[in-house]
Amino acid sequence: MRGRSRTAIWAGLAVVVAVAVPQTAWWDLNHTVFAQAVVSGLLIGGVYSLVAMGLSLVFGVLDIINFAHGALMTITIYVSYLLFQNYGVDPYVSLVVTIPLMFVVGVGIQRFAINPVMDAPVHNQLLLTLGIAIIIENLALVLFTGTPRSIELAYARNEFDLGVVTLDFPLRVFGAVVSLPKLIAFLVALLLAGVLYLLIQRTQLGAAIRASAQEPEGAELVGIDVRRIYMVTFGIGAACVGAAGSLVLPFLFVAPTAGATFTIIAFVVVVLGGMGSIPGALVGGLVIGLTQELTQLFVPGSKFLGVFIVFLAVLLFRPEGIFGKAQR
Amino acid sequence: MIRLRQIATASSRDLLILLGVVAVLALVPLGVSRFTLSVATAALIFALAGIGWNVLSGFAGQFSFGHAAYFGLGAYTVAVTFTKYSISPWLGLLLGGLVAAIFGLLTGWISFRFGLKGAYFALATFALAELLRLTFNKFDYVGAGVGIPIPLAGGDSWGTLQFENTPAIRYFVALGLVALGTLAVIVIKRSRAGSRMLAVREDEDAAASLGINPLRAKLVAIAVSGFITGVAGGYYVMFLMFIDSELAFGPFISVVILLRPIVGGVGTIWGPVVGAAVLSILGEVTRSLVRDPPSFLQVIEGVNGLDQVMFGLILVLVIIRAPDGIIGLFRRFRKRSSQ
Amino acid sequence: MKRTTVLLSLLLSLVLVAAACSDDDAGTTTTAAAESPATTTAEEAPATTQAAPATTQAAPIEPPDPILIGAIHPLTGGLAGAGNRMDNGARMAVDEINAAGGIASLGGAPLELVSADSTGAAEVGVSEAERLIGDGVSALIGTYQSGVTLPVAAVAERDGVPLVIDVAVDDSILDQGYTYTFRIQPNATSMGTNGAKFLSELGGDEIKTVAYLHDDTAFGVSVSEAFTAAAAALGIEVITDIPYAPFSVTDLTTEMAQAAAGSPDVIVVTGYYGDGLLAARAATDLEVDVKAIVGIAQGAFHTPQFVEDFGADSELFFNSNYHFNSSDPIVAGILERFEATFDDAMDTEAMLAYQAIYVIADALERAGSSDPADVQAALATTNIADHFLAYPGPITFDDTGENINAEPVLMQVVDGAVQQVFPAELRETDPVFPGTPWGG
Repeated sequence: MRGRSRTAIWAGLAVVVAVAVPQTAWWDLNHTVFAQAVVSGLLIGGVYSLVAMGLSLVFGVLDIINFAHGALMTITIYVSYLLFQNYGVDPYVSLVVTIPLMFVVGVGIQRFAINPVMDAPVHNQLLLTLGIAIIIENLALVLFTGTPRSIELAYARNEFDLGVVTLDFPLRVFGAVVSLPKLIAFLVALLLAGVLYLLIQRTQLGAAIRASAQEPEGAELVGIDVRRIYMVTFGIGAACVGAAGSLVLPFLFVAPTAGATFTIIAFVVVVLGGMGSIPGALVGGLVIGLTQELTQLFVPGSKFLGVFIVFLAVLLFRPEGIFGKAQR
Repeated sequence: MIRLRQIATASSRDLLILLGVVAVLALVPLGVSRFTLSVATAALIFALAGIGWNVLSGFAGQFSFGHAAYFGLGAYTVAVTFTKYSISPWLGLLLGGLVAAIFGLLTGWISFRFGLKGAYFALATFALAELLRLTFNKFDYVGAGVGIPIPLAGGDSWGTLQFENTPAIRYFVALGLVALGTLAVIVIKRSRAGSRMLAVREDEDAAASLGINPLRAKLVAIAVSGFITGVAGGYYVMFLMFIDSELAFGPFISVVILLRPIVGGVGTIWGPVVGAAVLSILGEVTRSLVRDPPSFLQVIEGVNGLDQVMFGLILVLVIIRAPDGIIGLFRRFRKRSSQ
Repeated sequence: MKRTTVLLSLLLSLVLVAAACSDDDAGTTTTAAAESPATTTAEEAPATTQAAPATTQAAPIEPPDPILIGAIHPLTGGLAGAGNRMDNGARMAVDEINAAGGIASLGGAPLELVSADSTGAAEVGVSEAERLIGDGVSALIGTYQSGVTLPVAAVAERDGVPLVIDVAVDDSILDQGYTYTFRIQPNATSMGTNGAKFLSELGGDEIKTVAYLHDDTAFGVSVSEAFTAAAAALGIEVITDIPYAPFSVTDLTTEMAQAAAGSPDVIVVTGYYGDGLLAARAATDLEVDVKAIVGIAQGAFHTPQFVEDFGADSELFFNSNYHFNSSDPIVAGILERFEATFDDAMDTEAMLAYQAIYVIADALERAGSSDPADVQAALATTNIADHFLAYPGPITFDDTGENINAEPVLMQVVDGAVQQVFPAELRETDPVFPGTPWGG
């Protein structure tokens, strides 16, 4: 298996190079564009990572395909937007509200909707979460109409004197531009990934979550209330994607379907990184972000074609993902 | 020969039901509006697509989340052969089914050879449908982003499968296709191939130890499944008179297809049809409720999106309360009342 | 467990009640047809048309039956924002026509708008069109999306009910030889060729090269192709062509950097609202070194909302798009009334829906009949000079149903407001060119 997957990866790389070479003459002249693709890919990849982390946890621990994940993001996009619009609350400050709020929402969804069908076949859970997504998106439509809105942060294009250096946003890195909201989203995503990793690996709660993921019956035997752990896990997953919602608000737009855009990408990232793996989700997000931007360079307009080809290749050659343990 | 007779007896009940259902459904065009007939025709088309899904995902247990791939291939085959080569849509339906079946065989062979199953297989099917959508959106031969409109023939014509003046015929053709699809499922379920599929669904290793080739059983399932869903997609084009990559391969289509058998009852013969009927009625009822609510609910009139909220709520409750679908619920109810 | 049961039974009873109620009336949304028009028509209209029976009958004269007009738009789903505004626009037009006495040639018959939700999906659009036709509508308007409009136009043609397209850009809709379909807005070819014309008028010799950033749906592809052909004839070369997927992108910085890489004189953008916003942000972040950013049929750059949300950064963005005639005081009144009624800024899409109702009302008036075939015949000879759009001439349809005078105008955000700059006769302010917010 090892040998075969390695050859396959090399074969995949060869294909990418073969596609890329005829174009290289073009982008060789445009180092700035290349740098921009890399920077943009990493920045958006950070957001993908954060969205995928929550999904990965839910997927890995509860073993359900959660199609309401993006819709949960829509909730906090709206909450942060309303707080900003009505009370002038900075979206990053609103994280204090949105993270706990989404934890509660997540626990509630698990408690009242998903726990009753934990033993049902996988398609039932998928459909259930799809139903939840339909409800959330259309409630948003009923409450706030479908008109897309957006906000601009007053300080997004500003100079910041940090004593040692003065940062002039948007920053220039090798000719590529780094906007402040995207940089903040990226850094907070990294920070939250670290926190989540420590939570899972170093705390008692984390141990219980890991136990419930690997051996639900065993965990039950040693006195872990697995259903309760499921609720907490779903809550954490929702809190992650909730944080992502507040973070993307300053550089995305507000609409009932704004979060849904991320659901599919998040699944790709989860598979790539390995189910349930936080470092996997982090690396996977960055890889997918880079893949889509670099594909855009080589084959303009086909961002997601590259993403799905990578996805299929991973499914076939390394379904356990980069950081996952072999499950077959 | 004995086996054949066994099949015949065991299936005779199903065949009787089939006759009965077709007879009842054949009465639908009597005295209903064009609109109802149109909704019913669409329901039948997606029921047929669901019947195809049910073969792979219900009987063989390989959950597909990308049946839009087969649906879309069938649809584009009919659209391209008809508009570019003037091939009759009848032949187009057959070709569409074949193209979808071949695509299923190829991708299925790769997926199964690499041991994809469960959520991984589901995600792979999804990715394939997305790849097709993105690819068809780029090629001028299939209309690229613009899609392919089917020219109106004017009047009724069996040759071009267009019934502008008599929508009832359009409905009957859909009903005929559903009847054929159901007949195929009844036959398959009782056949050796069918029992192999069921064995693979229950336990692949056990099936293999009984001398069943799981790969082959799954490939038969995916080919049959792709064919049926491909035919549904082909007829959908003649219903809509237009196809583009979103309508053919969009994730929405995959969901629409699998929703029907799951709500009706996965792995049952009648699940897709029951599910299609229930979901169509539910969709129309919630929509008309918001459009024209009873007097005590006047506040909800014209609140767009509320119908979808209700639809979602009912979907969630059905899944929680009836995890085996409506047919499962019905069976449980019958069992309880007979005790 | 108990709670879910209660909820379920509650919902089920709701559904049952709905099923019972919805049947008798086939589900029609009445727009205030009962309020003002009933009284006005009773007073004014009968004088001429119902004079004879009125003398013999003591009972109050019955108002004429309302004339149904169907409106199909995406009222839910990703495009619900635009869809609902358009539905509101049509609604307002119906109310105003009724308040003014309805259709005089039909005895002051009021109009009644029957709204339908396409949900953005073609097959729902088709079944809803059939429902509306079954309800007996005299004409349809819709549907905002080319992919829904094409199959709906086929239904309209088949059933012989006119469809007046308010918004849907694909040329191919009217290439099918349909006689029952009419379009008020400029098609893709008009958008692209006029956009090229504006560029050459705007820049003269200063615009020689263009980088084109557009969505990869039928909309962006057809407009950009028309532009590229027309621009070549005017000596403007498209040196870079960058398509993107409008409904799944979350960032367009790389695309914008690609567009800027060839040092074009101007970057042209075609697409919808959300992606347009992303493109504008990317251009601002990159401070792309070009003479102007010009939208062509771009869904954001000419909207009041773009100016409101994007703030000072929206300054100097150009857009060549269909537009209501903002120099017309009557239009200003319409905008005001819309804002007052729906607490939402009226955009051109809503104005096109509003206009579509007036086009149909005009046809009804001239036909003196609400029979769809008569309405179609009247629509074919439409000639409305006092319309609300920034077109160089009256609304009048050619043989294919295309509005001959449907042309875009070039607008620019100047001093925090969207202002018309081309053609000269509709100019509200002088264009600022070269001009980008970051000082080009």
